[in-house]
Amino acid sequence: MGRLFIRQAREREQDDELLSAYLDGELSAGERARLEARLATDPALRAELDALRRTVALVHDLPTVPVPRNFILPQTMVARPRPAPPARPRRAWAAPLLTAATAVASLLFVVVLAGDLLLSGVGGLALAPGAEPPLEAEAPQPQALAPSPISEEVEVEKAMPAVTVQAVAAETPPEAVLEAPAEAEGYDEEKPADMEPPAPAMDSGGEPSEESTVPAPTASPPVAEEAAVAPAALTTPEGAEATVSAVGGGGPGEESTAHAPTLSPPVAEEAAAAPTALATATAMPERYVGSAEPTPSEVGEVAPRATGEEAPEAAEGGRGAPESEVAERATTSRWRTLEVILGLTTLGLALATVWAWRVRRQ
Amino acid sequence: MEEAALISAAQQGRVDAFNDLVLAYQQQVYNLAYRILGDPASAADAAQEAFISAFQNIARFRGGSFKSYLMRIVSNGCYDELRRRKRRPTTSFEDFGEVDEEANPALANGHEGPEEYAERQEMARMIQAGIETLPPDQRITLVLSDVQGLSYQEIAEATDVSLGTVKSRLARGRGKLRDYLRSQGELLPARYRLE
Repeated sequence: MGRLFIRQAREREQDDELLSAYLDGELSAGERARLEARLATDPALRAELDALRRTVALVHDLPTVPVPRNFILPQTMVARPRPAPPARPRRAWAAPLLTAATAVASLLFVVVLAGDLLLSGVGGLALAPGAEPPLEAEAPQPQALAPSPISEEVEVEKAMPAVTVQAVAAETPPEAVLEAPAEAEGYDEEKPADMEPPAPAMDSGGEPSEESTVPAPTASPPVAEEAAVAPAALTTPEGAEATVSAVGGGGPGEESTAHAPTLSPPVAEEAAAAPTALATATAMPERYVGSAEPTPSEVGEVAPRATGEEAPEAAEGGRGAPESEVAERATTSRWRTLEVILGLTTLGLALATVWAWRVRRQ
Repeated sequence: MEEAALISAAQQGRVDAFNDLVLAYQQQVYNLAYRILGDPASAADAAQEAFISAFQNIARFRGGSFKSYLMRIVSNGCYDELRRRKRRPTTSFEDFGEVDEEANPALANGHEGPEEYAERQEMARMIQAGIETLPPDQRITLVLSDVQGLSYQEIAEATDVSLGTVKSRLARGRGKLRDYLRSQGELLPARYRLE
């Protein structure tokens, strides 16, 4: 019985909506025809319509009440100045769109990176004959840096010296590729293990990806640019430090320290939101290391050792690598290029996204 | 002076120009507030506040209907007042259904005898009481539509809701008022003299 009552009440409400709109001429032609057909055969509905019509007329004919007084404002009243343009972006869709774009870009980057590793990974890394023993430096680093997300990025760096090298390969001589494999050889075994975490690490966002491209082993302008880009891109001190630590510990320590000095000019140009990274980038490895938040000690260890080891490597460049390496390098360089592009794109999008969300929140 | 010129001058800070607009619209503004709130004192407060706010924010007026601009400010103010009343029931109890006739005699028609005038007053009181049984949203929508004559679109802009919501609130308000008047015996054909 209660349900019947409720249903009847709802039907009455629906009818009232129709009737009300009908009175205002707001029904479509079809709706009107249907209603009029119903009215013709339903006296109760007709009665409701009449009552509704009378009600509206009564309200419409309510007498106008005279004002009890004037409401004019005193001459001293002041108007507020024209308000500043709204802080909210007129395009409210910008922030979510950029977020999605960043996600897509980082996903692509991860895919390319993973593909690169899987396809050429171990083989490419095994190319370098004279792998320096930055292994020791590498080994402790991952664990040491594990606790913080920054460490993930460092791991990424370390796990992907080949990748990062490749990323730079487009602009750098093949020596870059050689260096990574060279260093990598020593920790070839660790490679696979290291390679796993980077994937998830990178999944966490665009920034880690950037940083993985940062520690390009070759001490050359491209590397510097990347390193600079990462600091520039990262808008937080953490990011800067992450970069630093990434660079400091990224890949074989030598690389980072080796290109620390060479980083100065391009870094100086591009440094934006990462003064610490900048300072460290242009500073000696020790300072570099010192500003690295997560594990200054480890990075410090790596740095000096790296300096010593990196110099000869950097100087040598192409160390009589077998031809197979050359061929390998060609492929890997293409991968590198793609990774650089994707990495930078993701970075740029991530920045834009952060900016868009900040503006939106205002 | 033409309305657009007055608005322009008001936007330059000319209070006297704005006061011309006040004089032109104050009856509509006051009646809107009165029909929503039900008592003269509250209506006067609401009207004054609305005009102050309208002037202070005149820089934000970017053209279109100035009446709509005012109606929006008034209805927002009345809505706030109704919500305030809900939180302090004693006030609303005092004002509930009370139509102070003496303080607010309706304008008499020239050709209306005293009996008709009295009846009209009686009817007005009844309708006002019925309006005050409506919840704030329906009440404001009904008054804007059937007292002030705003279109659905204007009401949607004034109350910042969709057209569909306007239609729905209006229909419910009218239906509820109809039921109320019917229960009071006010919709019997014999009493209905406005056809």
